[in-house]
Amino acid sequence: MKSSYVWVVVIGMGLANYAVRLVPMALLARLELPKTVQRWLSFIPVSVMAALLVGEVLRPGGHWLPPLQNPYLFAALPTAFVYYKWRNFLGTTVVGVLFYLAFRTLLG
Amino acid sequence: MSTTPLKQPSCLSARGRLIRGIRLGFPIFLGYMPVGAAFGILARSWGFSPAQAIICSGTALAGAGQFIGLSLMKAGADVASVLVATTVVNLRYVLFGATLSPYVKTAPLSGQAALAFSVTDETFAVNMSDLRQGTGEVWSMAGVGAVAWSGWVLGTALGVFGSSLIGDPYRFGVEFAMPAMFTALLVAQAEDKRHIVIGLVAAVLTVVCALVLPGKWYIVTAAIGAATIGTVTYR
Repeated sequence: MKSSYVWVVVIGMGLANYAVRLVPMALLARLELPKTVQRWLSFIPVSVMAALLVGEVLRPGGHWLPPLQNPYLFAALPTAFVYYKWRNFLGTTVVGVLFYLAFRTLLG
Repeated sequence: MSTTPLKQPSCLSARGRLIRGIRLGFPIFLGYMPVGAAFGILARSWGFSPAQAIICSGTALAGAGQFIGLSLMKAGADVASVLVATTVVNLRYVLFGATLSPYVKTAPLSGQAALAFSVTDETFAVNMSDLRQGTGEVWSMAGVGAVAWSGWVLGTALGVFGSSLIGDPYRFGVEFAMPAMFTALLVAQAEDKRHIVIGLVAAVLTVVCALVLPGKWYIVTAAIGAATIGTVTYR
């Protein structure tokens, strides 16, 4: 790959990705949003998190896994319980990885 | 109600709140390092210089977008199509920025500009959960963003310079760090019956959308669908 080509892409990628992040945040922060839009936005976080989790767990790395052979799916259940019970964010992440290692070993 | 092990922000200085954000974002750091390293290794082997790979991660902070960009570049695509592809992949950040906007109203434009820089799937999820619990604010968001950025850039540097030193990080199960974090965040978001129902609706829509749509489009499609159903149902 030509170095100049890589530089142009690298700089362009940085600028383009920044624009998508900044423009909506900065513009909308200056407006008072209508009540309906606010209510709609209040449902976005839970929806996004459900989508992120379901995507990562059922289709890790872009490949669907059969549910009964899926260590991600098995590990997510006790992980959810641990967070529900103790409400510790970092601790849950670490324990979750341990659950995952256990199920990965069990399911071969 | 949820009890957070970290101190409430009201009794902390700006520095204390920044540090609180760094601790909150630490799981993202763990999750980003190996993926950043994978990008570093790949970019290096496909003709990026070390500086180009690290600067790319440091300025784009674009996860999937960077990998797609790399593969298009390897296929000899022209600059414009690489840029369009990497940006389209990350158009969901528009939705994230819009959702975060009411919470950054008090920050000056320079502060908003700094916070916008670090918006990703993971920082959005962590910050949004923290903001809705009433503990998050701009300084903790800055901490979360900083630690996430560090993990991504440090991971890339490790991949570029020391891929042979690390060995295979996947033997430690790091691929579950992000799903584990999302699991905790989703439980934290399920604060009342409405949000539980809409979370389930989003989960079902995700499966359907992921089956028919390419790439990561299922995230934004399922989220917009579920939020719209929620808005119409719960007037």
